[in-house]
Amino acid sequence: MGTATETILELRKINKAFPGVKALTDVELMLKKGEVLALVGENGAGKSTLMKILSGAYKKDSGSIIFDGKEVEIQSPIHSEELGIAIIYQELNLIQRITVAENVYLGRYPEHNGVIQWKQMYEDSQKLINELGINIDVHKMLREMSLAEQQLIEIVKAVSTNAKVVIMDEPTSSLSQSETELLFDIIRKLKEKGTSIIFITHRLDEIYAVCDRMTILRDGCYIGSRDVKDVTKNEMIEMMIGRKLTNQYPSRESVIGETVLEVKNISDGGKRVKNVSFQAHSGEVLGFAGLVGAGRTETMRMIFGADKKISGEIFIRGKAVDIRSPRDAIRNGIGFVTENRKEEGLFLRSSIKVNTVMVALKKILKAGLYFDFKKEKAYAEEYVKKLHTATSSVNKRVMFLSGGNQQKVVLAKWLLSDADIIILDEPTRGIDVGAKREIYEIINELVAEKKVVIVVSSDMEEVIGICDRIIVMHEGVISGEVLKESFSQSTIGQLSVGG
Amino acid sequence: MDKANKNIKEKLGTIANGMGAWLIILILIVVMTLINDKFFTVSNFINVFRQVCVVGICALGVSFVVLGGEIDLSSGMSATFAGCNAALLITKCNMPVWLAILIAVAIGSLVGLVSGFIVTYWKIPSFIGTLGMQYVVQGFILITTNSMPVTGLPDSFLYLGRGYIANVIPVPVVIMLIFFIIGAFLLKYTPFGRSVIAVGENPEAAALSGLKVKMTKMLMFTLGGFCAACAGIVMTARLSSGQPSSGSDLSLQALAAVYIGGTFNGSMFNTLAGALVWGFINNSLNLLGVSAYWQKVVLGGIIILAVLLDTIRAKVSVKKQ
Repeated sequence: MGTATETILELRKINKAFPGVKALTDVELMLKKGEVLALVGENGAGKSTLMKILSGAYKKDSGSIIFDGKEVEIQSPIHSEELGIAIIYQELNLIQRITVAENVYLGRYPEHNGVIQWKQMYEDSQKLINELGINIDVHKMLREMSLAEQQLIEIVKAVSTNAKVVIMDEPTSSLSQSETELLFDIIRKLKEKGTSIIFITHRLDEIYAVCDRMTILRDGCYIGSRDVKDVTKNEMIEMMIGRKLTNQYPSRESVIGETVLEVKNISDGGKRVKNVSFQAHSGEVLGFAGLVGAGRTETMRMIFGADKKISGEIFIRGKAVDIRSPRDAIRNGIGFVTENRKEEGLFLRSSIKVNTVMVALKKILKAGLYFDFKKEKAYAEEYVKKLHTATSSVNKRVMFLSGGNQQKVVLAKWLLSDADIIILDEPTRGIDVGAKREIYEIINELVAEKKVVIVVSSDMEEVIGICDRIIVMHEGVISGEVLKESFSQSTIGQLSVGG
Repeated sequence: MDKANKNIKEKLGTIANGMGAWLIILILIVVMTLINDKFFTVSNFINVFRQVCVVGICALGVSFVVLGGEIDLSSGMSATFAGCNAALLITKCNMPVWLAILIAVAIGSLVGLVSGFIVTYWKIPSFIGTLGMQYVVQGFILITTNSMPVTGLPDSFLYLGRGYIANVIPVPVVIMLIFFIIGAFLLKYTPFGRSVIAVGENPEAAALSGLKVKMTKMLMFTLGGFCAACAGIVMTARLSSGQPSSGSDLSLQALAAVYIGGTFNGSMFNTLAGALVWGFINNSLNLLGVSAYWQKVVLGGIIILAVLLDTIRAKVSVKKQ
């Protein structure tokens, strides 16, 4: 029992088709006990479909699943959980208005004669959380937790079921570096206990940090499995995208011009942002690095007028501007691609067309009164073409697009509004390698047109790869500014924790 | 052969999907024509249209509120209030008909504006906010009318509810159709309509896209009040008197029309279809001699079934993608 070579899960020749699409073709996967397996592939490669088959959300068309030595037919999510498979989705499945402990034991409350044993529940969940090295009070309401903490709670919940296989679908996308480290520690602890983990991520460095082996999928097909230590990053990307990789960060001739945006001492009354001042120039990509919760998003929301600023001034091209609402910001040529595109950026049930013109409705008005749908369609098609959005038609609802294409629709919305100061908050979160590069290319085109681009990103490699200058924030203040010639992960990392 | 069949099936599916509630009407007409010979006549159809006018006009306003992500439970009372006010102004204050209508409709719009204010600025859920408004308005109706019907209305007023154009087309039907044409235009072709849909779908994203979220909400409630008041004028004209208890069921009928019609699919004419489904079923049950008590049971079931059908349709179209 428990030897590292024993297989816990094996998938053989899994096929799955949706009407009109073959999602998976003869996919194989093998997972040993106590192993961390990275499942890699671009968006649409079939990772999520495969995981949904394992979690019982979808049924496979053919192929076999061998779990713990027995062939199984996974009937439902409950069946999957009973077998010992726990899955942590990208989107959190927690309830905001109950306590952390209740969330951990949701649906499995410890009972005695039909009465919930609250004390036991709090004690057990606190013990579990402490064991994993997380510092959270389980009596607190979930809504008091940060996004990152909620992500960790989701993981605790999965672990609490004593699952033999834990599937993590992009668990780090909302975690800061230190929280990611904490997650990796948790993964290592699970490994020691003999739990196997399937780890899905778009951050390739994390694969080297925590995974033993990797299985690569492309276009629903099984490409291969390798030991992580035998594969270089470039080889991995080439296997994912099926062609040789040019540089992940497209190069750019920076021509930095005059100061366009100047922010002086803005603050929200000392809560998350304290006296932040900076300048941004035309033709410049200015990065904002730091840990999650450092106040970067809050700073940008204040500049955009989405949140109220208590003090401070904003100047655009030397003139003081009064921004009290997003409308004011838009009038002053500011565009804001928010970090949660689904919640704050898109109208998912509406079409690409409708989303594209949302900020610039004036542009499609005839006689200033009513819409000219020909114009609407033409604009939407222009930006689909310009940004290489993959879609059959501009009438397609955006909920049917992949993450990368959704992000392009958000970008199109701001480009059509003629914004010349564009703030991008985590622009490539949850987007695959190929689409990421396309977003970077769009950023290059924007600065080539003398626009100002501000990128907030927790992906340090990305900020270094695409920015001309990086401002680092820590606990609501700017802890340092780094110029291109002195970019390094260690400098920025140092400043992120306060310098 | 099999493939061709499948193609036809798929095409029919798409057409059925696009028709929404109109399909229910079509099926109803075909079935009723086959089993009852009094159904498929011009006079019966005109009758049905005439009966749905009040609900239809009211539901048009409610559609905007529902599309904007809120609900309006006060529209029925707003309608009654406007009708009674107009009747009072004409009979007790000897006001000219047009002026009385104008004032009554203005007060109705004001009621909507107040609802909008309560929901938008005091952040009270619209279900509760408009429920409260409903009682407030009902109270005012009882105070102003002393709970007595207001009679003695002139013919020029009654014409709005009982008149015919060219002796065939009822005036209220014409009013309703004009309302729907304007409403459909507002929803589809104007920034206001677009804002309503955006605010209803994702208020956060709407605000961050620079839309006037609060203004939109205020406006849609005001429009709701306006339409309810206009419906109330037609209702009063049909009944020949301002009846303090006449609109008690109207709010819910209007909401039902919006949901049965599946107005979420984007067209205001779906609401008209929803109102017509209601009307045709009522009419059919009457012709078939179903007792009034059982009619309630059937109508309630229809509301649930229609929304269920809509949910299934949405699921199927998602799966297709």
